[in-house]
Amino acid sequence: MNKGLWIEGPIKKGILDFLNGLLADQKIKAVLMPAKNKGGDSYAWFLMEKNGMLDSADPAPPVMTTQGANVVSYLTKKGPVWEKTAVLLRPCEYRAVIELAKIKQVDLTNLVLISFDCPGAFPLEKYINGDPKKLDEIFDTCLEKQTELEGARNVCTICHRFSGTGADIEIGLIGGKGEGFWLVPGSRQGEELIEGVAGSKTDNLDVRENAISERTILQETKRNNMLDSFQETVMGPENLLNTLSSCINCHNCSRVCPICFCRECYFDSKALSSEADNILQRAQRKGGLRLPPDLLLFHLGRMTHMSLSCVSCGACEDACPADVPVSMLFALAGRNTQAVFEYEPGRSQDEAVPHTVFKFEELKDFETPYIKEYSKEQ
Amino acid sequence: MDEKKEFTPSIIYGLCSWCGTGGSETAGAMHLQYAENIRPFRVPCTGAIDPVYILRALIEGADGFAVSGCHPGDCHFDSGNYRARRRTAVLKSLLDTFGLDSERVWLRWVGHGEGKRFADTVNEFNDHIKEMGGNPLAKRRDT
Amino acid sequence: METMIDSRMIMTDFLAALFDKLDVAAVAAMSKLPSGEKAAYTLFTDKSGLKECVPFFPAMPANAARAISKLTREEAPSKTVAVFLRPCELRALTELIKIKQASLDNLLIISYDCSGVFPFQKINLSDETKLNAYQDAVSTGKNSEGIRPVCAACTRFTPRGADIAISIVGRSADQPLVLSFPSEKGQTAAKQLGLDVSKTVEASPAVESLARERKTAEEALTEQVNESLSGAQGLVNIFDRCISCHACSYVCPICYCKNCYFDSQTFEYFPESYFTRMTAKGTLRMPVDRVLFHLGRLSHMGISCVACGMCEDVCPVNIPVSQIFKTAGSKAQAVFDYIPGENSDDPLPLLAYAENELEEFED
Repeated sequence: MNKGLWIEGPIKKGILDFLNGLLADQKIKAVLMPAKNKGGDSYAWFLMEKNGMLDSADPAPPVMTTQGANVVSYLTKKGPVWEKTAVLLRPCEYRAVIELAKIKQVDLTNLVLISFDCPGAFPLEKYINGDPKKLDEIFDTCLEKQTELEGARNVCTICHRFSGTGADIEIGLIGGKGEGFWLVPGSRQGEELIEGVAGSKTDNLDVRENAISERTILQETKRNNMLDSFQETVMGPENLLNTLSSCINCHNCSRVCPICFCRECYFDSKALSSEADNILQRAQRKGGLRLPPDLLLFHLGRMTHMSLSCVSCGACEDACPADVPVSMLFALAGRNTQAVFEYEPGRSQDEAVPHTVFKFEELKDFETPYIKEYSKEQ
Repeated sequence: MDEKKEFTPSIIYGLCSWCGTGGSETAGAMHLQYAENIRPFRVPCTGAIDPVYILRALIEGADGFAVSGCHPGDCHFDSGNYRARRRTAVLKSLLDTFGLDSERVWLRWVGHGEGKRFADTVNEFNDHIKEMGGNPLAKRRDT
Repeated sequence: METMIDSRMIMTDFLAALFDKLDVAAVAAMSKLPSGEKAAYTLFTDKSGLKECVPFFPAMPANAARAISKLTREEAPSKTVAVFLRPCELRALTELIKIKQASLDNLLIISYDCSGVFPFQKINLSDETKLNAYQDAVSTGKNSEGIRPVCAACTRFTPRGADIAISIVGRSADQPLVLSFPSEKGQTAAKQLGLDVSKTVEASPAVESLARERKTAEEALTEQVNESLSGAQGLVNIFDRCISCHACSYVCPICYCKNCYFDSQTFEYFPESYFTRMTAKGTLRMPVDRVLFHLGRLSHMGISCVACGMCEDVCPVNIPVSQIFKTAGSKAQAVFDYIPGENSDDPLPLLAYAENELEEFED
């Protein structure tokens, strides 16, 4: 069986050639992927067809501007695309797409999801304020050599789901020897598209699989250690509120979050507005009240709503104007709530979001048992 | 010790209108005494209690929040109580994650006829919260 | 010019007097957060928290008009609440009152001549050197280094429309507050405060010199923005980096709509529509409607834009949104001779019509 195809040569060029080939053979109608913007100082998403492929198209950009899952959602929220469209996504973007498909904000019909082994991304602000050319170079070297990306976002440095596993086509870099990449089909559809592409076929990807599992173990340990030590700095009302003290309650983290799909967020709704006298009473009870109020409620509440599906993509922190470590807070929250249900967002489309499954017998630990009749001690 | 006795916690008790509230009615019919400082909060079903309600109560000054509804299998809406249990699990693990006293939130099923169980739960929870002391978030102005 | 008097009170006395003599139910002002590093707009209902108040702290983590709107929109307070507002926040509040998103009932507005603020990320309570330099600039009537460009070019920095105005430009920080009471509410407050009105104070020449510096900066800014906007591609280039997060509209005090038109279903399309649009050039940038959002927003709120600078503070990709909106907004405002927030009796131009007007815009 054809497990993969090794394509020799420069990586980004090779990927673009592959896509152009699919377009030329009319196996796909269009590609949705990032490309440099006009000014050359950032990236944007582009839907491109055969004669419109941009030279600046970049399958693996060094920053995440708009989260790819959001873009896929814009494209397919109202219905499926009619013709085959390839979408290039970072692994975390791919996982968010899967989560969105579960809650019907994305229609996967006719989409070919392609992902790659991601070395991480630079913080958006760092890229915008820095020297894009230099950062591009650093990133491309890391992509090719699959080494650690220096200066990557915190949440990227502890990413443990860095490979494109699960996508229709995986662009395999980890475990590769020399310049080149594998095209690994992840579905029947992916297999069909790879059919006929020039490259050396392989029926054994053990090198790659072993390298991935090795790195996964390393990253998992790193993730847990870092999240544990981060947790120590945010535990308790004092620490948590200090961490959030620079937050200005702008809710931009939720607006860019791919999982937060609600058009009208509960935390922007009338439910949280009240008469002045009521707010004065709150201030009186608390010895003062920060305005606009409900900042802690927003963050914790948002966690109860979406942390089960949080893919740790870091878009929230990139968009935060106040440098709050939002992505770390949510990575931590997500790790712990997901563990309760042994749920991993984006792992499989068949795995239902825990909030939508109900079982007769479970979670006894979270109930307070009625052991015996209670008599008040006097 | 005396100080602790003085402390009257402010407690919200989320009760579904079928079993939880029923339990409180039975307790009344049985003339059972229970702590008077709880504030019942009646909802159609425990599944309607979004964790945000509980968080809001805790942040705005409640010292404890208990939830009672139909036993598994008894939900008037078939699965609302399972939903409540999942949501409570998420909430409690979040509170644990951030060191915010997950023990201030209790989930315990109380059937319509279980007046004794209801009164016991109120008293037990009240004593438990008294033991824990006041909620530190209640006095924070930067929430 | 209103008569300015020496109140013989420093800030802490003044804040206490608000409770003791004016019997206010609460005071809202910038205050130190318990973290000790950051300040935020906070509401206090008694004197115990007043030691934390730093009303003049040069940061605007949220436009306070938004906070006051949140406070009074559902129902105005039943007792007086004293609120500290920067002049641009006060103007935003006045605009919000015109569109019924806030109420003036039982508000006692305290404002002051503003020396501008730093981008809120760039200033902490512990930044002593920065804050000292800022204070020096205040007392000499100069633009402090590091304040936002839109603040440095703000010519409406005097507290018009306040009930109590505090004069700080050209005065040192430790001298007693110099107050004036321009409104009727203010006059009553002055009486209740029991101030000796005979001790008048001259206006500081520093205000004039700051106004001149600001005017020059404003002209330079306008020219620079006009230049960058010129040409067919000017706008497209400026918003090239935009990631369509709409944070600018969310923090804008004037953008009050709960469900923004640009986040509505109107701008959700069927996939076919995206493909059709792609076919024209073979390429379609996504998310779409990026420039439309900015221009559309400008057309919705530009006439009320008070140039408070919040939009620019929150932009994650450093687009000079506020500088553009200030420049473009004042052009639109000039058509109607309208200064947003200047006078609460001026109706919003888009709500007032005349049979014969604006003929130069007809063909």
